[in-house]
Order: sequence, then structure tokens, then C-alpha cells
Amino acid sequence: MADKKKLKLPEVGQWPDKLMAPALIAGAVLTTLGFLMAFFIVPPVGGAAVDGVELIGDSMVSQKMLLSQKIFYFHMPVAITSFLGMAFGCYYAVRFLMTKNQRFDTCSRICLEISLLFIIMTMITGEMWTRFEWGVWWSWEPRLTTYLILMLIVIAYFVLRSSVDEPERRATFAAVIAIIATVDVPICFMITRLIPSSIHPVVLREGGMSPEMGMCVGLCALGMLLVGFALYRARFNQVRLTQRVEALKESLED
Amino acid sequence: MACKPPSTWTQYRTLLAKDLKAEFRTKDMIVSMGIYAFLVIVVFGVALSFARPGAEFLEASGGLLWALVVFTSLLGLNRSFSHETENGCLEGLLLAPLDRGVIFLSKATSNLIFLALVEVIAVPLYWVFFSSFAAPAETGWLLVVPLLLGSIGIAGIGTLLSTMTASTRGKDVMLALLFVPIIFPLLYACVSATTCALVGGEVFAEGFFTALALGAGYDVIMILASWVLYDFVVN
Amino acid sequence: MNPILADIYSTILPSAPYLIAAYALLWVALLVYVLIIFRGTKKAEAQLMLLEEAVADQQIKTQ
Repeated sequence: MADKKKLKLPEVGQWPDKLMAPALIAGAVLTTLGFLMAFFIVPPVGGAAVDGVELIGDSMVSQKMLLSQKIFYFHMPVAITSFLGMAFGCYYAVRFLMTKNQRFDTCSRICLEISLLFIIMTMITGEMWTRFEWGVWWSWEPRLTTYLILMLIVIAYFVLRSSVDEPERRATFAAVIAIIATVDVPICFMITRLIPSSIHPVVLREGGMSPEMGMCVGLCALGMLLVGFALYRARFNQVRLTQRVEALKESLED
Repeated sequence: MACKPPSTWTQYRTLLAKDLKAEFRTKDMIVSMGIYAFLVIVVFGVALSFARPGAEFLEASGGLLWALVVFTSLLGLNRSFSHETENGCLEGLLLAPLDRGVIFLSKATSNLIFLALVEVIAVPLYWVFFSSFAAPAETGWLLVVPLLLGSIGIAGIGTLLSTMTASTRGKDVMLALLFVPIIFPLLYACVSATTCALVGGEVFAEGFFTALALGAGYDVIMILASWVLYDFVVN
Repeated sequence: MNPILADIYSTILPSAPYLIAAYALLWVALLVYVLIIFRGTKKAEAQLMLLEEAVADQQIKTQ
């Protein structure tokens, strides 16, 4: 073991910890700015046409204004963050399988926790939008379906973790599932999109974003990513503290 | 005299023969899977007892057939690895200087063979019981192709998952919990292809081959991934 | 208000509850996770205190 090249392990107090507080503050500021921008600066998106034109402010409006679309400004950033969490979880899972070091398993687990949190947030915002716009709580639409599957796999991942006692084996199984899930989800997304189901046609309105909308989404996305990073780091510090206390307890009991 | 190690192909054949021999001696798994499939058909019969026969039934029947396949294969996968862990057979296998990939391939093949055998019985039974609802189109027999494709994928990824869950607490539930969401894309593609084959006509030309191609892509990627990862799971 | 304007604004009020719920639940979810982290830290610190006491006890005994 001594001649093994020294492995650099993620640990509390390394450089990411210095970035944690600034990231949290920047994230909070950016998401707040994004929130304010979404409601006060970006003009509302038009929906169905109404018969007639009316002057509001200094522009002519001939469509119903959609307030519900404002959900999108946080829905998409949260979804991006959850995917990124997943990707990092997969990365650490690969590292674990290569090194068999429990630290990477801890990292992978926390990444997936963060991912699950953001998946749940995506589901919540998405559901609220679906309920209002389509009038149903659920529709088997490609994006919704993919997200449901993603959520189920991540939940299964945590159930699997809790049903294996031996740490080494638990970590290996968890890593395998994390990798399989990361491979599975893009395929799922592709297949559900390329094979449209006949009963429920794709209802999503496709359309570009105006530069203003894009900027708002970008702002929120950056903010959410920073918040996600800060949460990851905070959780990592806490889990490491718990692990070290446990280790200390065991060595004292001897 | 130098002793030559057996080739990979020989190893594979020996392992496969072992599984098949063990199964055909007791016929445990095939019988229980077959009976289970029949019972699922009975449950479908009850569930559909108030449905009106008609051409629309064809659109749902492909999906029902796949529900039958998924439930039956779950039962089979659950049992396929319990033999190995019960008698410490797995430890013996791992002691032998074998490539783990060979164990995976032989196990997946035996699972595929059992699943195919059960399907050979269950699908005609399904047809016998439900063809009174609506007669499938001329292209109906082509559902064999998605059935084969789906079974290959199920056997591949299912072997990996059942190996893992065999050593967890509450393994039956655990397998279902992992298996169903992970197999979902394949299931979706196969249901689509099967429905296309059963409905026939324009629908068939439109969707059958796309669905098959996507299903095949899933099979290739997932079996490769399982094959690589199997190494870690078994050790 | 004229009917056209009323039509333009017609979806705003009905959608407001869903919008508010979406944003509120978003932050509730984040908050819950933060609370989980806090509770974990508290627990670990309490255990650390216990350990410190145990170590102190042992030292007194050995002296």
C-alpha cells in the first residue's frame, strides 16, 4: 500500500470550502435577482389569441397574458442542476469503482442526494404548471415521464443503500446503480421523444426564447447551480463530521 | 504434461450447461413462471371482463402482453440467482480462474432461454384467451421480433440487477424497484413496436422499425454497461 | 374594464395560486434539506461532547 501513488481525496477544508460561503451568497443574490427580473422586467409571454387588440403600456397586445409561464424561470434551472448533480454522482461512482475508497462513495451519495432534492423541486414546479395549463395532475408526456423514471431510479438507489449492511458492498452496488441510472436517463429521454405515443400527443409549445427570457433563465440557472454547490459542500462537511465522530467512537470503545 | 486452460468459449458452454441441467432436472423455475404467467392472464381476463370487444382493444393488448412478460420475468430473475447463493455455488464459481464477463454472459443466456421458453407457452395462451376481443392484423406475427429484443434486454440488465439484489434485504421488492424504472425505455419501445405489429397497416409502416431500432440501441448499450459493471458486483 | 382587456388578463388570477404554490414549495424543499444538514451537525456535535466527557473520565481514572 505504501508504494501506491498518493490519492488525493476530497476532504473538509480543501479549496471548495473557501468557495462555499461566497457561492451561497452569490446564489442567493442571483436567484433573487432572477426572481425579480422574471416578474418585473421580462414581459409576460402571450398565450391564445383574443379577438381584438389593446394597447397596454406602449405595446399592442392581442394574446392572453400567461402568468403561469413564470414558473419556467425556476423550473428549468432546477432541472439543469439536478442533471448536473446526477453527472457528478456518476463521476464519483466511477472514481469509487476505480479506487475502492469509501470517500468517493460518500461524495457520490451526497451528489445524488442533491440531485434528488432538485428533482423533487423540478417535479413540484412542473406539476403546478401542468395542473394549471393542462388541467390534469399527470400526463404521460415525454419530459414528465423521463423525470418520473429518473426520480424512481434515484429513490431506488437510496432504498438499495439502506438494504445492504456491509459498507464495501453497499458502496459498490450504489456506484453501479448510479452509473446505470446516468446511462439510462438520456436513453429514456430519447426513446420517449422519438416514439410519440398516439393517445397523448406532445402538447408542448415549442418556441425560442427572447434574449430577455434567456438572460433571466441564465441568471436563475447560475444562481441555482451555486446554491446546489453550497448545499453539496455543507452536506459533505456535515457527513464527514459525523463519520469522523463515529470513527473516534469506535476507536475509543476498543 | 502441460495443462491447457479451457478456452473462454468452453467456459461459457460449461457454465450454461450447468444452469440448464440444474433447471431441467427440477423444472422449478419454468413451471412456476409458466403458472404465474397463466395466472396473470386470468387476472387480465377478469380486468377486461367488462371491456367491449373491438378494434380498439388491439391498441391496449400489446401493452398487456408486455405487462405479462415483465411480471413473469421478474419472478424468474428473482429465482435465478437464489440457487447460486443458497448452496454457496457462487463462491465456488468465483474461486475458479474465470473471467467474470463469462459468468455474466452465461447467466444472461440461461435467463434468456428460460424467459423465451415461458414466452413460447404464454404468448399463444394469451392469443387463445384474448383473440376473441379483436383479431390482430396480418403483421401480427412480427411481434416475435420485439418480444425477442425485449427478452434480450431484460435478461441482460436483469442478470446484473438480480445478482446485486440477491444479497440484499427484501430482495424481491428491491429487484422490482430497480428493474422496472431501469427497463422502462426498452419497455416503451417494445410496447410501441408490438402495438404497431398488432394494429398493422399504416401504423405498422410508421412506427415499427423506429421503435425496434431504439430498442436495439438500448439493448446494446445496457448489455455492454452490465457486462463491464458485472465484474465489480460479483467480487 | 373593456372585454378585450379582461380577456387578455383572464388567466392571470386563476393561475396565481399555482404559481405561488410552485415558488413556495420550491423554497420549502430547499429549507427542509438545510434543516436536515443542521440536525445532522447538531447530532454529531452532541456525540462529540459525549466522547470528550468519556475521554476526560478515562484520564481521571488512569491518574
